[in-house]
Amino acid sequence: MKKVIFKIMLLLLVLTSCDNGYEELNVDPTKSSQIDAKSKFTAAQLRMSGERYEAWRANLIYQSTMMQHIATTASYWSGDKYFWNKDYASSLWDRYYTGPIKAIEDILVQLEEEEQPTEMIAIARIQRVVMFQRLTDVYGDIPYSEAGKGYLDGNLTPKYDLQSDIYADLLKELEESAAVLSTGTSEWGDADLLFKGDQAKWKRYANSMMLRLALRMIKVDAAASQAWATKAIEGGVMTSNSDIAYIQHSAGPEGINKNGNGEAFSADSNPRLSKTFVDFLSDDPRLPILGARRSDKSTVVANLKGLPNGLDSDLLKAATGELNTDAYAEPNRAIITGEDAPMFFQTYAEVEFMLAESAFRWGLAGGNVEAHYNAGVTAAMKYLSIYGTAATISDAQIQLYLTTKPFVAANALQMIGNQYWAATFLNEYETFANWRRTGFPALVPVNYPGNETNGTIPRRLTYATSEQVVNPINYAAAIAAQGPDILTTRVWWDKL
Amino acid sequence: MIKQLAKVLLIFCILGFQNIKAQATVSGTIKDGVTGMTLPGATILVKGTKIGASTDMDGKYNIQVQSDNAVLQFSFMGYESSEIAVKGKSVINISLNQSAESLTEVVVTALGIKRDAKSLGYSITEVKGDAVSQVKQTNAINGLQGKIAGVNITGNSTGAAGSSRVIIRGNTSLTGNNQPLYIIDGMPMGNDTNGSAGTYGGSDGGDGISSINPDEIASISVLKGGAAAALYGSRAANGVIMITTKSGKNQKGFGVEFSSSLLFDKVNSSMQDFQTEYGQGTLGVAPTTQAMAFDNPNSSWGAKLDGSDVVNWDGVVRPYSYVGNNLDKFYDTAATYINTISISNSNEKSNYRFSISDLSNADIVPNSGLNRKTFSLNLGSVLADKLTLSTNIKYIRENTQNRPRLSDSPGNANYSVAVLPANIDVTTMDPGANEDGSERATSTNIYATNPYWAAYNFKNEDQKNRIIGSASLKYDILDWLYVSARSGIDEYSINTTFIAPWGTAYQLLGSMYEQETKYSQIDSDIMIGVNRKISNNFSTNSLIGASNNTQVRETLTLSGSNFIVPDLQTVKNTENQSTGYQYSKQKMSSIYGSFEFDYKQFIYLTFTARNDWFSTLSAANKTTPNNDLYTSINTSIILNEAFKLPEWIDFAKLRAGYSELAGGAPDPYSLSLSYGIVGQGHLGQSLSGISNGTIPNANLVPYNVDEVEFGLDTRLFGGKLSLDLAYYAKKTTKDIVSVSASQASGYSSSIANLGEITNKGFEMLISGDLVRTQNFRWTPSFNFAYNIGKVVATNATNSDINLGQARTQNVQISHIVGQPYGVIYGTSYARTADGEIIYEIDSDGVPRAKDGGNKQLGQGVPPYSMGLTNSFSYKNFSASFLIDAKFGGQIYSGTNAGAVGRGQHKVTLEGREDGLVVNGIDDATGLPFTATVAPQNLATYWGRISGIAEEFVEDADYIKFRQISIGYDIPIKALNKTFLTSANVSLIGRNLFYINRSVDNIDPESAYSNGNAQGLEYYGLPSTRSYGVSLNVKF
Repeated sequence: MKKVIFKIMLLLLVLTSCDNGYEELNVDPTKSSQIDAKSKFTAAQLRMSGERYEAWRANLIYQSTMMQHIATTASYWSGDKYFWNKDYASSLWDRYYTGPIKAIEDILVQLEEEEQPTEMIAIARIQRVVMFQRLTDVYGDIPYSEAGKGYLDGNLTPKYDLQSDIYADLLKELEESAAVLSTGTSEWGDADLLFKGDQAKWKRYANSMMLRLALRMIKVDAAASQAWATKAIEGGVMTSNSDIAYIQHSAGPEGINKNGNGEAFSADSNPRLSKTFVDFLSDDPRLPILGARRSDKSTVVANLKGLPNGLDSDLLKAATGELNTDAYAEPNRAIITGEDAPMFFQTYAEVEFMLAESAFRWGLAGGNVEAHYNAGVTAAMKYLSIYGTAATISDAQIQLYLTTKPFVAANALQMIGNQYWAATFLNEYETFANWRRTGFPALVPVNYPGNETNGTIPRRLTYATSEQVVNPINYAAAIAAQGPDILTTRVWWDKL
Repeated sequence: MIKQLAKVLLIFCILGFQNIKAQATVSGTIKDGVTGMTLPGATILVKGTKIGASTDMDGKYNIQVQSDNAVLQFSFMGYESSEIAVKGKSVINISLNQSAESLTEVVVTALGIKRDAKSLGYSITEVKGDAVSQVKQTNAINGLQGKIAGVNITGNSTGAAGSSRVIIRGNTSLTGNNQPLYIIDGMPMGNDTNGSAGTYGGSDGGDGISSINPDEIASISVLKGGAAAALYGSRAANGVIMITTKSGKNQKGFGVEFSSSLLFDKVNSSMQDFQTEYGQGTLGVAPTTQAMAFDNPNSSWGAKLDGSDVVNWDGVVRPYSYVGNNLDKFYDTAATYINTISISNSNEKSNYRFSISDLSNADIVPNSGLNRKTFSLNLGSVLADKLTLSTNIKYIRENTQNRPRLSDSPGNANYSVAVLPANIDVTTMDPGANEDGSERATSTNIYATNPYWAAYNFKNEDQKNRIIGSASLKYDILDWLYVSARSGIDEYSINTTFIAPWGTAYQLLGSMYEQETKYSQIDSDIMIGVNRKISNNFSTNSLIGASNNTQVRETLTLSGSNFIVPDLQTVKNTENQSTGYQYSKQKMSSIYGSFEFDYKQFIYLTFTARNDWFSTLSAANKTTPNNDLYTSINTSIILNEAFKLPEWIDFAKLRAGYSELAGGAPDPYSLSLSYGIVGQGHLGQSLSGISNGTIPNANLVPYNVDEVEFGLDTRLFGGKLSLDLAYYAKKTTKDIVSVSASQASGYSSSIANLGEITNKGFEMLISGDLVRTQNFRWTPSFNFAYNIGKVVATNATNSDINLGQARTQNVQISHIVGQPYGVIYGTSYARTADGEIIYEIDSDGVPRAKDGGNKQLGQGVPPYSMGLTNSFSYKNFSASFLIDAKFGGQIYSGTNAGAVGRGQHKVTLEGREDGLVVNGIDDATGLPFTATVAPQNLATYWGRISGIAEEFVEDADYIKFRQISIGYDIPIKALNKTFLTSANVSLIGRNLFYINRSVDNIDPESAYSNGNAQGLEYYGLPSTRSYGVSLNVKF
């Protein structure tokens, strides 16, 4: 009898010795505990390019209308009339930290752990700079040194770094990364959607970014601005449209493949080209490429009318008698609004305009302002062909434009600024930042009843409201350092 | 597993059915000594042997005896036993007397252990199968509504194949599952909900418990508290519902039983009492053009209905008059047929019962319904001396046609029908398709789907195949020592097809998906038990055991959007295709023990312990334990044995219990970071990234539930009255909650054991056997429960937790620290200190109620619930009805908010001709004002009111005439010439009417999901009343 009981007890113990194999069992067979950094990097680049969410809200609804590239009578397009929709304003924040920033911080840790080639690490570091530069330019002081590390460091409430400190670190990152890069193809290879691992192009991109950051500081630290611009130009910036930093999208099969602006245009029929923009593009061969009449898709220049900013349908009717906005030009849906359109981060044209400015200010880059200006305009017209052959502008057309609207040295900064504004259409993050720095073009603000900014163009977008609840101490410190979390507060490099 | 079961069954069939030749037969009838009523199910045993029999429906028995010296023992629950020597008699009739004091009432407790009811130091409620089979529901568990104190059942307004929410003694987890563990014949059963509707619509995919055929249920034991459920350890936090299915055990010889029920459901359209005086239109004017009708399809701000010719949405001119209730026009009368036939047999060595059941339902939404076929086999056998085997296996096949879409409008016929103005006839929208196969749009609002298109062209169907089986062996090693082993499986697959067809207005090119969901749970346990006297005064009933549980879930999805060939509905024919695959597997091992001691059978003490090991808490290099110990202690004191009590107290028991349990072990794979493939690559490059949006927490443990309970169980006045009282207080600590992170961390949240809830409650059951004569019997029963749940902590900063938002976006169900579980939180009026509403006056003179911000407006979970059952029998007639009620909860009615905004609600009738007088406080001056809103501004005025959630949060209190059945047992005499042995026919009715209801136009029980966010209503299926007939015959 006792034996029987003993045997049963033994059986119980065997049955329940209890957690054999449990550690292996608790590993998801459909997931991996680590994955090749290349596919992560490709995904991170697509996330940086963005999705419909923030492309619609931050890029188009806010910045494109404040910058008077786009105008609309639709009331939810908050930027057109300087309303404050906090969710729209924080949309870049909402997507970037949990998307590309989280991914790139993870990739950098992996590359270090796996002791991958330094050129791979350098390219990832440059990519990280691009992401944070966009974020800090939009919001000012932001979580930087502790950001994206919720898992890595367990830090759920990262502190906000001063934009001046962020800029210093971004520039250091660019300098160190560029120094590592030489020629040849990086291990990233085709996984790199920007340059297919071309180290030389990455190096030029790093220096071009350095030039962008350098000029951004012109108002607050002209000396540093000049020093970094000098360093960037000496290091070698973009030299042709084949150096452009952009990602080619496809129209599917899933959302991540698509151009976020294109998705927004698919869903939203309200945006029209702003009168300010169309007027600037008069006699400009770009106009029938960028715009088409809403009602009949006509691209005949005479038919292309821009919609004034700051109107609702009542004001429109009162001002023009129009019952709707069908008679106005919209972004040309045959060419530039596709879900498979390229997304541009920095173009050679922008670089030429910055060189022109550096030549003007400090005699850098050979000192020939006009040559750089003309090269910039030429590049800005030529690069549109990346959208497709329908967007091809001939040399003759360009020459005609440069003859009709020649460079005037006396107005150098204004002309450069205006052209920079036209060249960065749809990359409204850059448009908005460069306008705040240069004041060009001299946009006339609208003053719609009940607007949030007292009839002035906003100087930044606002933080995620959730920060007040989930990161209150650091949020309060950021406001104490930078100023109130409102649209009119200026970021560090925009201080007068 | 299945193979093993089959083998066991085969062996059984070979061994089974060996009859022992008997020498003499004794028969007779057993009756109640007082009333003379026959006693069905009484037991007759030949003393000193294992030969036994039981009485049939009429109290008759037959038993074989092997010698004239045999002595028969007659016993029946609640009666004193009696012994009579056979001495050559062939007929022995006997009357048994009800025992004066409590008798051994055996109840099934945790792990299927049968115990003497009086030894239990906790509350357990056992109901017989007829509680759910008398008036059969498509989801059997709904049959328990209002019948058990402390068990709160909410049937949703989601259709015949929908899910239910069952909450025992309040919600124990803030965001986790709060529904009980279901055990069927000892085997844990999966009760996952296969999708439910949320803020932006969806359908109710049904739950696990709904698969069980009500005709199969022999009894249901509800283990309400922690002490009762403690042996289930970490799975028992929400209580346990144990279902025992029918076996052949109580059948004498071969028998056939057939039961049939037919139930009709008809929309209770009288509940929706909208205005019928003003028709479609705007600014007090009827549409003058088709375009106007098409542009403002749901605006009831038109002119007074006068029978004049007015153009409709389709360009047809029709009389401008009330067309009758569109609910009656659109919805069908549903019919549910449930037919079950079973055969059974038993003898000393073996018994079996086999049944086939078919449930066919055509639901109220046209072109929707449910078919469920159940095959069930239950076998019991004595394999050898002291060794018994019981097995059962069920195969359930369920086809659901077009689960209705709910809540938000796209694809939701319920929405499209409910919003129509009084002069628009829904049948003008039939058919829902144009000749080219696209949706026949009824308005410019593409998101309001033509209801006939939604019903006939959308597809949302699934097929579920399920096998539930178990086998258990018990070996009585000695009189006082046994060992038993059991293994079982619950395995199902669900194939779902959803199609939004090509031509759907809001999605012109259409989309679809095919999904296969697989689930399996295998559970085994083994235990040894002791049941013996230790000394004269002390005895013990104890056991130790071990168990092992494995669950696997797998989901495969193929989806596509944009059909290439319009009418070819297959994923292959779509432009954008994608696949999804999810897999999870988890295991739990346990050892447990239960130790009961009693002193002279009047003081009982039980101690239980269980240790669970979790695969979901296991990871390499983890420093915290992957297992936990759960314990309970309870005691019962039989007062009438311990003390001398007044004579009218037949029985009195005090009970007390304390338990420390757990619940909500984390999902598999949630301890560590993982990476997955993203999308389908980009231009030839593959994509991947971090899969976790929430920072994994390697130290997560199941939450704890500590509960203390006290109770008193009495029987008074010779069994005429019984009273059972219970008080409990339970506390959930370390509840698993999401901790919000700054998005700048890269993650939206982390998870941690930080939540805390308390539940306190009181339960009462009074039942009577008040009148008991030869012909008439009246047995009323009243149950009452009060539970108040309180949220003590939500997370590190104790911020609110949002459980779910209404489609109207202005109100949500939230957890707020210090408040009851799941309060309704939304927009409110700004008021003065005196409570008067403050208005801002527009330039056009229309007062606009000032926004008072978001406030707590009510609680979604009603604290009071009760039910009253009255059963009567007179000769061959029997009648029973149930009234149940809930009080203290509120509901936000999205239907009423919409109806006010659209001018459909009766409240909007005032001032249509002369203007509406509004009084309040002017925000500008702080002084009272009176303004008259001109008729053409009423739409603006009410449109603003409709956005104030406070206005539409109403008490969800109700008293409902839940159920009635009137039955007739066809007298045996009439059956003599037939082969029938018994026959019963009943008229049945359910949800016939509300005795009292606080909220207008909607059913207070109209949740669209069985999730934790209760208290929101938005265009579910309309309320129905059911009536029908059921038949039960045996032969």
